Amino acid sequence: MSAPAHASPAGEHALEESKFQIFVQIAMILAVITGVEIIMVYMPFAHAFLFWTLSILSAVKFLFVIFIFMHLRWDRPLCTVIFFIGLILGGGTMWALLQLFGAQASVPLSAG
Amino acid sequence: MADALVKAEFLGEEEKGTTKPFVLWRPTAKTGLMGWLTTVDHKRIGFLYGISALFFFLVGGIEALLIRLQLAVPNNSILSAQQYNEMFTMHATTMIFLAVMPLSAAFFNFIMPLQIGARDVAFPRLNAFSYWVFLAGAIVLNIGWLTSDGVPNGGWFGYTPLTTKAFSPGHDIDMWVMGLQLLGVASIAASLNFITTIINLRAPGMTMMRMPVFTWMTLVTAFLLILAFPAITIALVELMFDRLFGTNFFEASNGGMPVLWTHLFWVFGHPEVYILILPGMGIISEILPTFSRKPLFGYPIVVFSGASIGFLGFGVWAHHMFTTGMGTMGNTAFALATMTIAVPTGVKIFNWIGTLWNGHISMRTPMMFALGFIWTFMFGGFSGIMHAAAPADYQQHNSYFVVAHFHYVLIGGSVFALLAGIHYWFPLMFGRRVSEFWGKLSFWVIFIGFNVTFFPMHFLGLNGMPRRTFTYDSNMGWNSGNMVATIGAFTLGVGIAIYFGVMIYTFFRGERVTSDAWDGRTLEWSLPHPPPEYNFRVTPIVHARDDWWYEKHHRSEVAKERSEHAKAEASHGIHMPFQSIYPFIAGVGVLIGGIGISLVDVNTDPHVLIGKKLATCLVGFFIFLTAVYLWALEGNEGYHLHPEQDSHSGGGSEPKHH
Amino acid sequence: MSSNAAAGTIDHHFDPTTSTGVPNKKLLMWLFLASDCMFFGCLISTHLIYRLHPPPGTPAAKDVFSIELTSFSTFILLMSSLMMALAVNAIQKSNLKSLRASLLMTIFFGCIFLGCQVYEFNNFVLEKHLTITNSILGTTFFTLTGTHGTHVAVGVLWLLLMYVRSFQPREMDKHPWWFIRNVFHVVVAIGTILLGMNVVIECTRSLQAHGFASGLAAFGQAYFLRLVALAVGAGVLMRLARPGYAVAFDEKNAIDVEMMGLYWHFVDIVWIVIFTAVYLLEYI
Repeated sequence: MSAPAHASPAGEHALEESKFQIFVQIAMILAVITGVEIIMVYMPFAHAFLFWTLSILSAVKFLFVIFIFMHLRWDRPLCTVIFFIGLILGGGTMWALLQLFGAQASVPLSAG
Repeated sequence: MADALVKAEFLGEEEKGTTKPFVLWRPTAKTGLMGWLTTVDHKRIGFLYGISALFFFLVGGIEALLIRLQLAVPNNSILSAQQYNEMFTMHATTMIFLAVMPLSAAFFNFIMPLQIGARDVAFPRLNAFSYWVFLAGAIVLNIGWLTSDGVPNGGWFGYTPLTTKAFSPGHDIDMWVMGLQLLGVASIAASLNFITTIINLRAPGMTMMRMPVFTWMTLVTAFLLILAFPAITIALVELMFDRLFGTNFFEASNGGMPVLWTHLFWVFGHPEVYILILPGMGIISEILPTFSRKPLFGYPIVVFSGASIGFLGFGVWAHHMFTTGMGTMGNTAFALATMTIAVPTGVKIFNWIGTLWNGHISMRTPMMFALGFIWTFMFGGFSGIMHAAAPADYQQHNSYFVVAHFHYVLIGGSVFALLAGIHYWFPLMFGRRVSEFWGKLSFWVIFIGFNVTFFPMHFLGLNGMPRRTFTYDSNMGWNSGNMVATIGAFTLGVGIAIYFGVMIYTFFRGERVTSDAWDGRTLEWSLPHPPPEYNFRVTPIVHARDDWWYEKHHRSEVAKERSEHAKAEASHGIHMPFQSIYPFIAGVGVLIGGIGISLVDVNTDPHVLIGKKLATCLVGFFIFLTAVYLWALEGNEGYHLHPEQDSHSGGGSEPKHH
Repeated sequence: MSSNAAAGTIDHHFDPTTSTGVPNKKLLMWLFLASDCMFFGCLISTHLIYRLHPPPGTPAAKDVFSIELTSFSTFILLMSSLMMALAVNAIQKSNLKSLRASLLMTIFFGCIFLGCQVYEFNNFVLEKHLTITNSILGTTFFTLTGTHGTHVAVGVLWLLLMYVRSFQPREMDKHPWWFIRNVFHVVVAIGTILLGMNVVIECTRSLQAHGFASGLAAFGQAYFLRLVALAVGAGVLMRLARPGYAVAFDEKNAIDVEMMGLYWHFVDIVWIVIFTAVYLLEYI
């Protein structure tokens, strides 16, 4: 229900043009990162190093998509706050559950 | 009779829409069955939620009385063990999901848009859809009364492995699972709508910190709903897959862990109890200032505490599971978190007392329920703190001490607040006020009955009486406690009966009130009782917290501003949303699908490609999809109203002095 | 309500009719996505919890998964996200042609992703003997990735309906049959897509089983009728894509495409998490 407001200023028009390029560039970066992740998995790195690197690379891809493709960078902070509430709560619940089930008291008797 | 809600009193001209093919015709009936099935008016939807809630409140109450009858004396045989299991399962599920939550939703729907100066919610058709899906969920949960499988009997929390196919082979648990799924869809859809409305549809000048506390609590509750329900949705999906497809989520013999259900359920279940209490706290925060003739003490702190309770509520779920062997660290972490959450709750109580302090107290019926709330909710809080100490909880868990605790916070808290809200907002909704004598009488009978029922249960619990057991032996020392509780329960029943009787009488014959029934403080009281279809003739411009109070004490300034604003708005008229049949049809599709998944038997004949179950689900799904598609295609244009300039009971009455 | 705005005069970042400037539909979708984070969070938690202490006899995930196939489908989904962003960009400038092309590409990539998933599920069940019921790994894997796949499928359907909606005539009085045309368009599109996916998967199977030349020949013989139907369907769709009348779809509808775009991107980021947590972590 947006009413026709003011005409876009010239600066914003230029931004619209470059958005196309930004999207394509980010997509290329995402593809490259995915490629790097695959290659890394096959290389003989230490478990902990691989775990953290893969997690960070995925987090980078995640943030690129939400801030650029999903436009959060250019929108009001309210949208970012709302999404991060869900994200942090979901992540926090996951972390807590993994801590609980990973504790010594929770190891199933039949586990290998 | 109920003409208050039926006629739109200030109907002006309607514009002609563009021609559309028959499937996209917009219904215009304002009365009769079609009027109700196609309504998108938040006030009517609120009324529908309210009526449904009150009906199921009575159903849940009867289930409770049957429980108390069975437990009145030792070794009783009024209910078999199986029937008793059905009773406590249905009593809890009905009261939580079909009574308290929809009653809160009734107030969210009716009152919240009025408090923020809006004409309706952000997505009126989605609002209607929420109600119809709620009704579908209520039907699926209760349809077992008519089938051979019976109603669900696995407890309102459905612990595995009891609810797995191996131990509950019948359809009753499937109905419980699907019923709750449908209710979850309804709750989430409604909450998304309310949050968008509160954030985006406030009248000019209504900043977040000028909103009434009830609206704030609506916002926090809605956030809790959209963030907590997904957890139980997943748990229910996993249980359903185990039951329908033989997966291993909770199948211990193949690697599953039943305790995972308990965790996922309580990840939802704990925020759920805050969902049950926060709206009540919001109502109390409206009533106390009105009947003390003082602003709410410490408004920012009350708002902040409400938000803190909501947020912290996600971190305490395992205090329902202290006895499941989580280990020392787990128990300690959750015990500490639970004790922390008592702080903002206590802060609220002190602020309410601060509101009363030095106020010009008016002991009308809503105020009495509110004061009763503070007292009994506090008791529930005390027993809650006792539970938070994990070692003590080892004795209290699963005993009647827990039953006492949650009934003090749920009846003494939520129900008292909701009953108070009904009294308080009845004049606004129906244009009639309940008689003081009968209102106060119902309060006292309820208050006394409630305490007589549940106070003894603290002692029964500490003396070892376990929950969810259909009978007990006569030499346990529990006989007198149970007898007293049963007498109390029937007293409470009489009180509720008086309350309901009085409400029904008042609806038809009560004292007429046309404006500002209680010399209120917030915007909804500026409207005629009952409000016209479009709510505000001129969108209010908000200057302060308790804006109606401000307006009453700055009459000339506001009147001038309003007439200027009215001239500006007059040209384009009041934009109203079109009614629509598709939310209802989508609800029907969902109902058919829900029944298909839960009730119809699985096809065992290999020659039949699409058995009855799959066919029913497909039909339901197809109806739903078609309805949603047409809903999208019919568009969201509306029509414009140009109400008459002269009013007979507009929002400009003189402030009342009591 | 039916003002005619020239292209470029709607501010797509600011809605003055709301208290915050964020359009209602956008706010609604972000709230829903926050909720969906909790939804997938709990489902992913279930999978990870059961990977902590696998019971004896659980198949080794490394031996079952095909990292090549999964990386390919991850790349596909990322590209579909790009197409979606371009589609939103296009409609914000009232560029209908670009919008429709981008939407079709998004649908195309989405269907490739779904096809890969169907292929993967088939392979796991039939060749690797991992089913949803025979182990806890199978249960959590198929439920989690299947739920994500369902989200993708819902997204593809939504994209398709949005594509067909972009052909709604501006003067509906002059086109009394437009609703029937609309439904026909949707039905043919869905049928063609399903047929196309079926054809591609069967062709791949045939090529794998019989080698290139004889595989193609065997496939062509067995599936001739379906290939003809596919050609007919494609032809009908191409004809329907040239309506010859003015349509009621321009930058005023950009908010709906943007809302759908948010959903689609979210499905992509959930896949990024699933790809890491379910697949990649099994290899280290």
